[in-house]
Amino acid sequence: MILHILNRPPSSSLVYREALAAMSDTDRLLLVEDGVLGALTSQVRHFQQVEGRLFALREDLHARGLEGQCDASVQVVDVDGFVTLTEEANKTVSWF
Amino acid sequence: MRYALLVQGAPYSSQASHSALRFASALLVRGHRLECVFFYHEGVYNAARLAAPPQDEPHLYDAWCALNAEHGTQLQVCIAAALRRGMLDEREASRHGKHGHSVEPPFELTGLGQLIDLGQSVDRLVTFAP
Repeated sequence: MILHILNRPPSSSLVYREALAAMSDTDRLLLVEDGVLGALTSQVRHFQQVEGRLFALREDLHARGLEGQCDASVQVVDVDGFVTLTEEANKTVSWF
Repeated sequence: MRYALLVQGAPYSSQASHSALRFASALLVRGHRLECVFFYHEGVYNAARLAAPPQDEPHLYDAWCALNAEHGTQLQVCIAAALRRGMLDEREASRHGKHGHSVEPPFELTGLGQLIDLGQSVDRLVTFAP
């Protein structure tokens, strides 16, 4: 299982499509930095294909005043959870 | 586990350095080892020894140095990316006939081959890009 890390929101970059295209059925996707915007209900539809395997970084949501506005389908993790996700994955790939 | 981080974002321009430092702290707290931080592309500016940010802002340079001092983390800078951006240690400065230098230990100029070796030798390599 690969952990894919995305720091761009769907509203400003199409790189998320490349990330999704590269993901296997068990890979996970973590939204970080401006990428957390993709976790909002208005944008999360772009990530339908990885529902249940989509995560967003709490600290980056908080820094943008978006904590609590995340779609219910997204699992919010703090930086400690970020480390755990890297432990559980065989490797990580960053998309930017 | 043994970790290494690849930082490609310039300090104070993108969030990459801040994200990497936050991740570094968290993994160390969890008992992992951070073998190396490798600075590439604009990330090489993190090694600027004269960085003097306002006192009420995070001092990224000092934070990197603290990782080295407290945890033995190597701070490696891609030499090809560094030289063309004016990031020279004493040896390279003298070799190129420049007065003064911008990189000093614990940061070290090294080749891209080191990054390849890192990727193969550590358990996890995590990239923080702009």
